[in-house]
Amino acid sequence: MYDPLRVALKVGASGLEAQSKRLRVVSENLANAQSTASTPGGDPYTRKVVTFENEVDEALGASLVKVAGIERHRTPYRIEHNPSHPAADANGYVKLPNVDIVSEVADMQEANRSYEANLQVIKQARELIAMTIDLLRSN
Amino acid sequence: MSVIHLFDIVSRQNRWLSVRQSTIAGNIANANTPGYKALDVEPFEKALELTRLSMNSTHAGHLAESGARTSTVEAANSSSWDVTHSGNSVSIEQELINAGEVNRAYRLNTSIAKAFHRMILASAKV
Repeated sequence: MYDPLRVALKVGASGLEAQSKRLRVVSENLANAQSTASTPGGDPYTRKVVTFENEVDEALGASLVKVAGIERHRTPYRIEHNPSHPAADANGYVKLPNVDIVSEVADMQEANRSYEANLQVIKQARELIAMTIDLLRSN
Repeated sequence: MSVIHLFDIVSRQNRWLSVRQSTIAGNIANANTPGYKALDVEPFEKALELTRLSMNSTHAGHLAESGARTSTVEAANSSSWDVTHSGNSVSIEQELINAGEVNRAYRLNTSIAKAFHRMILASAKV
């Protein structure tokens, strides 16, 4: 029989892991917000997004969360006229990444908020365990 | 002896509260999972009435019953505060309020158990 409080710690940890992966993808997107191709007419960096899925752990009997995959975002690339750029095609257009900094920052905030919520649950489960152990303390 | 009965109820409610805490953890971990429905446990009064007898294994080759599945987790009704467009019905604020409630009840329970424990010890010591 699993102790439900330990299950709570495990589930919270799975949430922390999923949100930190999301933060990693956001940082990749922000770092590559200007990465163009090096060959004429080539495709630049494509924005990536994480998708989450609910995974039921049979042994624990609890629903963990896991990153289902890191997908490429399907918005079109930004196009700029810059004929001297190494990635410019025959007409002088350069494809820039479809990374939108504002929505990346919003995504970052949301990941932050979810991470905090998971951390709060872990803290509280630890507190409950500590309260039970304190029953043994004689005073 | 009624004091012993009190300890029984305290430990049963603390177990119920732990199951609730792990359900809250599952909800918060899945706060961004599309289509995930928030779960809650059935009320303590209802859980107290039920005796959940589990099957005994009479042979070593029988599959063991796994842990928390026998506990009181069940799909919640539509009491969730908000349902997002992706079909996710977890509200982090609601879950944190529930977690605070669990914490408060757990603290109350352990303090009561501690007080009774002290009383028993006081009578045993002399």
